[in-house]
Amino acid sequence: MNQAHAIKPRCLLAACAAISLAHAQSPPSPKAAAPMDLTGYWVSVVAEDWRWRMVTPAKGDYVSIPINLAAEKFADAWDPAKDEAAGEQCRSYGAPASMRVPERIHITWQDDRTLKVETDAGQQTRLFHFGDWKAPAGPPTWQGDSIAQWETARAGTAGAENEAGHRFGDLKVVTTHLRPGYLRKNGVPYSAQTILTEYWDISTERYLSGSHKNEQWLTITTIVHDPMYLQQDWITSLNFKKQPDGSKWDPEPCSSRW
Amino acid sequence: MLLSIGLSIGAPLMAEVDLSGEWQDKYFEDWPERLPGPDIGDYIALPLTAAARTKADSWESSVQTLPERQCIPHPNPYSLRGPADLHIWPVPDPVTARPMAWIMYGTFGRATHTVWMDGRPHPSKYAPHTFEGFTTGVWEGDMLTTYTTHIKMGYLRRNGVPTSDEATVTEHWVRHGDILTVTTVVEDPIYLTEPLVRSSNWLLDPHLQRFSTPCEPVVEVPRKPGDVPHYLPGTNPFLNEVSKTYHLPLEAVRGGAETMYPEYRKKLKEQYVPPAKCVRYCCGWINLLGPDAVTGKLNCDGSEAKAP
Repeated sequence: MNQAHAIKPRCLLAACAAISLAHAQSPPSPKAAAPMDLTGYWVSVVAEDWRWRMVTPAKGDYVSIPINLAAEKFADAWDPAKDEAAGEQCRSYGAPASMRVPERIHITWQDDRTLKVETDAGQQTRLFHFGDWKAPAGPPTWQGDSIAQWETARAGTAGAENEAGHRFGDLKVVTTHLRPGYLRKNGVPYSAQTILTEYWDISTERYLSGSHKNEQWLTITTIVHDPMYLQQDWITSLNFKKQPDGSKWDPEPCSSRW
Repeated sequence: MLLSIGLSIGAPLMAEVDLSGEWQDKYFEDWPERLPGPDIGDYIALPLTAAARTKADSWESSVQTLPERQCIPHPNPYSLRGPADLHIWPVPDPVTARPMAWIMYGTFGRATHTVWMDGRPHPSKYAPHTFEGFTTGVWEGDMLTTYTTHIKMGYLRRNGVPTSDEATVTEHWVRHGDILTVTTVVEDPIYLTEPLVRSSNWLLDPHLQRFSTPCEPVVEVPRKPGDVPHYLPGTNPFLNEVSKTYHLPLEAVRGGAETMYPEYRKKLKEQYVPPAKCVRYCCGWINLLGPDAVTGKLNCDGSEAKAP
């Protein structure tokens, strides 16, 4: 046995020890560190903005959105047939609007650092990347590039953990590199300069009675910042109810008219 | 004395967030309903029982002019959905200095939310009910969850959609930087078939002027004693107006839990043809109020519209 072979096992042992130490000290993956379980099926319950979400509103109906004159002129020229002909029928399913569509969403972990959100309406897929993910080069997309992080209650404080010992927290997602689309089906635009910030919070309704007791609800607070088409940030929030399974999952393609 | 100081220092800190400050209400959803006010017969997106519809159908807006009703504040199940710039401050416990209560002031008519954080129980079911109700709160991480009982019979929308004195309200208060989001869960065994869940948003604004709503009843409309404006069943002539204006099926306008889920869109798809153009409240938001915004004299950004 030559000397090189003789020292190899010792080197391997040292390497293994170093790796073990690194593992012992490395923080848990975003999946393991999740302060709440977002996975599963959720249904949007449209108790707000029903007239602008459940149906396509009339042309010129821009109420509640702080648009500027450029946006008004753009939306006044809305033509769904033209969008269809141009293959742009997913304009109202981009990230700033996709959670407002009446729909079911399915949330899974694509890997330990990537949360995947799929919609049945419009069949869109959003990917929330944790950590130091770098967006690949390429053209902007409907769902853009999303960077995610958990925000957790301060450790060691009373009330910071639930009964199972898990720390409470929320999910913050910032999305950029968006392909221009519509905030509302009737052509209210957002531009490529849009920055979308979302906060995802889960509540458990322990005060409700009967079959509703302990229902889980997801509230998504959404801030759309668009210096091109908005006079100020458009702040809204949406509510989804947890579903026991995906039996009502009903995929349908994008539509520019409905 | 040393012992008590030691105990005070050694007590665990609460995982609570400072909610105090001046919060500007953002009406970026349902602006027409929340500011100008809802149309008569608009029960859209409410999971109402038949009893609720019957009662709401009898509502005549002039009932608000009765002296005994003029000063009714927005009741708890509605107050955060209506106009409500909030001024929030804690009431410190005199010994620990921790908030023993949070005061959420600013709802219309001063039915101020007082959220008791000191663990006190809710009163007996025979205790008097008020428009603000009795509220306790607990921190769940950085989320303040409150629970309100003992609410007087009131309304869920400013067009007579009722809430009963058995209604309860859960709220989840979450602060993300300068944005406050409150998710409100209303349960009412008399007038709702399932809980109504909505969320509203506020923006921190240290310059916000506090707005008070004092009220002194006067005789607005001379009436005979005992006269109460109302419609008898089947006589309200305005119940079809929303359906006609927005081309919506009357069934959808009458509300109901079924209408709030994605499946209902399939039904609507067969029946709905959008109006050719928007005719009212086309541009409203918080900085764009008043009749000029409604009549089209202003562009959506507030600039003067040129005549066509």
